[in-house]
Amino acid sequence: MSDSAPRRRFAPGTTADDLKAYMAPFVARLGYKFNTDEDFVAMVMEGEIEVLERDGDVYCPCRVRTGDPKEDLKIICPCIPFYTDRFSAMRKCWCGLFIRMDVEDGSLLHGVMEAPAGEADVRIAATGDLADGQGRVVAVGKRKLALFRVGGEFFCLDNVCMHMWAPLGEGYLEGHTVMCPWHGWRYDVRTGATDHPDADVKTHPVTVRDGEVFVRI
Amino acid sequence: MATKVYALSTCPYCKMARKYLEENAIPFDVVEVDMLTGTEREEVVAEVKRLSGGTSFPVIDVDGQVVVGFNKPKMQELLHL
Repeated sequence: MSDSAPRRRFAPGTTADDLKAYMAPFVARLGYKFNTDEDFVAMVMEGEIEVLERDGDVYCPCRVRTGDPKEDLKIICPCIPFYTDRFSAMRKCWCGLFIRMDVEDGSLLHGVMEAPAGEADVRIAATGDLADGQGRVVAVGKRKLALFRVGGEFFCLDNVCMHMWAPLGEGYLEGHTVMCPWHGWRYDVRTGATDHPDADVKTHPVTVRDGEVFVRI
Repeated sequence: MATKVYALSTCPYCKMARKYLEENAIPFDVVEVDMLTGTEREEVVAEVKRLSGGTSFPVIDVDGQVVVGFNKPKMQELLHL
């Protein structure tokens, strides 16, 4: 666009297929794939290519650049990383170009613009992200959770030790017990139970589908 | 009833919304914001931000009530379809 310097990352003549090949592995790492509705994908990609040809860079075809880079970078395509929890609950990205990996028919999600009310399954990891006997801190929006993998099963707890609010996801795992990395309080990752009175940690139900780990929250 | 559609020439949902209005014989004005230049563009972008709180399209103004995106149920409600 004329009023902001384009960052040309794509060669002139880039096609929709080139762009799709570039985007697919990126969104796959986030747990998404292109919508199964091929006509719809073609229509959005046509818009993306028009923007690319005009501005020299990819941008959401349904948004206008203001010329202020700070404002304009608030949403780029794919915008999944900006709204991880909301999109995971909607099972699609904002426009539906991408759908969650476990959705079979993306055309059924057209028009879904809000996350369903109440609890929803939110994708927090791929199964391969954690080796057995490992834990990590995962983010769901602004909220942090502790995710553990033991004996091929996944367990999710609030990421807070009730002693001094240390991050449990960084703790040491032995069997089904995680030891807090600060002062060694011990919790059962299956139940959140600890030996200390009134100090159990909340657990969250986890499901695994097609190599993706979801937490109900 | 005055209906105004702020659209982008590249935006599939803008095309769907315009088609939907045409199919229902609703007269409307349309502004293709990305086709504007200079101060006119700046003014219209500012207007879109004021109406919708963002820069996502389409923004549909029905007698001062605003719909962002091709939100069919909301359009049906405002346009009494």
